[in-house]
Amino acid sequence: MRQDLIQEVADCHKIYLGDESRRFGQAESISFPTTEGEMTAVLTRMWKSQTPVTIQGGRTGLAAAAVPQGGHILNLTRMNGVLGLREAEGRFFLRVQPGVVLSQLRDNIARRTFDTKGWDADSLYAYHRFQVGAEQFFPPDPTEASATLGGMAACNASGARSYRYGPVRQHITALRLTLSSGDPLILRRGECRAKDRELLLHTEGGNTLTLTLPTYQMPRTKNASGYYIEDNMDAIDLFIGSDGTLGVVSELELALSPLPGHIWGVSCFFAHEEQSLCFVEAVRSLGDAIGAIEYFNCGVFELLRRNKEENPAFSGLPDIPRNADNAVYVELHCTCRKDAEELLYTLGQYMEAQGGHEENTWVARTQEDLDLLHFFRHAAPECVNLLIDQRRKLHPGIAKLGTDMSVPDDCLHQVIAMYRRDLKEAGLEHAVWGHIGNNHLHVNILPWNEDDFAVGKALYRHWAEAVTEMGGAVSAEHGVGKIKAEYLDVMYGPMHIREMQQLKAALDPEWILGQGTLFPVRKEASV
Amino acid sequence: MKIVVCVKQVPGTARVPLDPVTHTIRREGTRSVLNPFDSCALEQAVQIAERTGAKTLALSMGIADTELLLRDAISRGIDGGMLLSDRAFAGADTLATAYTLSMGIRRAGGADLVLCGKMAVDGDTGQIGPELAEFLGMAHVTQVTKILAVTDKSVTVKRKAEGESQLLQVRLPALLTVVREGCVPRLPSIRGIRAGERARVPVLDANGLGVDTGRTGLAGSPTQVVRTFMPQRESEAVSLGGSAQEQSTALISLLQEVGTYA
Repeated sequence: MRQDLIQEVADCHKIYLGDESRRFGQAESISFPTTEGEMTAVLTRMWKSQTPVTIQGGRTGLAAAAVPQGGHILNLTRMNGVLGLREAEGRFFLRVQPGVVLSQLRDNIARRTFDTKGWDADSLYAYHRFQVGAEQFFPPDPTEASATLGGMAACNASGARSYRYGPVRQHITALRLTLSSGDPLILRRGECRAKDRELLLHTEGGNTLTLTLPTYQMPRTKNASGYYIEDNMDAIDLFIGSDGTLGVVSELELALSPLPGHIWGVSCFFAHEEQSLCFVEAVRSLGDAIGAIEYFNCGVFELLRRNKEENPAFSGLPDIPRNADNAVYVELHCTCRKDAEELLYTLGQYMEAQGGHEENTWVARTQEDLDLLHFFRHAAPECVNLLIDQRRKLHPGIAKLGTDMSVPDDCLHQVIAMYRRDLKEAGLEHAVWGHIGNNHLHVNILPWNEDDFAVGKALYRHWAEAVTEMGGAVSAEHGVGKIKAEYLDVMYGPMHIREMQQLKAALDPEWILGQGTLFPVRKEASV
Repeated sequence: MKIVVCVKQVPGTARVPLDPVTHTIRREGTRSVLNPFDSCALEQAVQIAERTGAKTLALSMGIADTELLLRDAISRGIDGGMLLSDRAFAGADTLATAYTLSMGIRRAGGADLVLCGKMAVDGDTGQIGPELAEFLGMAHVTQVTKILAVTDKSVTVKRKAEGESQLLQVRLPALLTVVREGCVPRLPSIRGIRAGERARVPVLDANGLGVDTGRTGLAGSPTQVVRTFMPQRESEAVSLGGSAQEQSTALISLLQEVGTYA
């Protein structure tokens, strides 16, 4: 092992003590392995010394899974190579290390250019076919494109386009992992399945692990809360979305998809909330050509208008129509222009049917215009973060309270009415946006002081209970991490939490990986 | 009042194919976009029209599918479009282009105000605006950052001038070239797109336009492109990875290599 691979945490490592959740922790040591060998050597060292390990990627997570609670930080951002390409049944599968950054991957795919150093002959042949074949893309699109692929797999990231393409889980076909003991495990989709709720895993080190899977039923909604469990499940799905608590990913195989010929974005502005909800329900009936359905409420508009005035970084935002109360963004993914045009006019008709007006729309048909709408989308969380950072200077006890809950289709009106009523009664400043196509909204409570924060926290818990009651999930895409662990309790209850802990203990008996993530404390008695 | 906005379709990528014979950009089959400076000229025209009721026309010289660009301009609030398209226009330098555009404007019935982007991002010359103004016999102002007032007789503008701003009032008819600073071009609406699709966009060839083909295209261009090449990169960015110590060691070696550190 390189002498300096494991370093003491020093001042220059401060940024690694926190992530995009704006939470900070502490750690004694940190490493930046560049190969699986180095990564395994670090893990083995930590295993022997019983040192907790927190795995990090791009630290763009919003649930603090990458924030250490003591011990060692295993930062995988320097394991960032693209290792090879495979073609099978007309599709391309890319093998990458976990530190590859999504924006870089997208750029490489769009330019059809990869650093092929070290690729084998089969990969180079597939690469040639990739370069001359139909244009490809990697569909998952979390808002933060500086996320790493390993981090995205850890929290089963999704994003706006998960409405059409599903979360990242559906685009990962193989994982190479290392368990906390240093034992490698290779999982290819379709090759290792549970029998009912019993799962046998054969490690590369020759060990066989018999796992009893928890007995809960996952909600039938978009979900990233706790371990993915279902009857006869594929073993790979257990590790995707496990928030860095079961194993360390050293390689992923990603399935690419053919890029739709025409991707258009349409922001539709409405004067009343009810109009937009009925519009969303109508748009859902339009089928596979709908790539995303997103929502922005008046709180977002206020925030963006203010920042456009005051902050030069946001001066390039388009002017929001004056009478608009909220907007629904719909993305069209069509093979030909004519289809996209017909669908666009259908959206116009649906708007008018709800009392909206076709002139109150922004249509992006070029990449430049799409970039502008994405900038608008990205500006919302950026502005919230800036606002909270500013308020924390006077009130250090506050933090952003952003929900990530989803409910079934038939509860959309109910959940939005609940948010509106509760926020009004509590008198809390807020901004709501998110993936309304999946009934999955991010309600961002913007506390002015510690009192607001306490009221907001109580509301958050109340919503977790109500959403669970509706058959929804407390985290739909960010993962549970550390800051939503208490809501996982609310969602699944003590018995199922215990089952999850037993499952973790079977894979990570010394409870080395991701301490504090999913489960606030190790419950010795129950394991 | 009548406003004509000259727009150009430019490659949507920096990696453009070049014609091996003429050494000019081969536009067929290349993803094209509206020249970003022209999108600001369009926005300024629409804003003036909203204030004054002026009629606006987008004018372009280009290949047949430039018509889509003009329909897009209409979807963003411009009243109409006109395309000048003929093989006889191909390979034009700025002089031949300005001549052809000036003939287009005359054919459209003239203009009180002509707006252009300050330059096109593919040619980067910034010459079309001033040359066009000369052909039309109009006053012109380049590098306009803000159009402050428009009346039937004059336009008052702010322009960038060597690090300072100038406030100018110009008698109409006039031509302005606009910069991008402070401009956020509007996006089309569904209603606008319907209007763009429905609009009649006349396409005029050399005959229809009544031009002297000795003054258009390659034949009418005193500037001939002799050779086109990718410039050699004289600077290179090197990314240093590894630990802080590894990075500093690598940095010292690099500095020693270039002789700035002994």
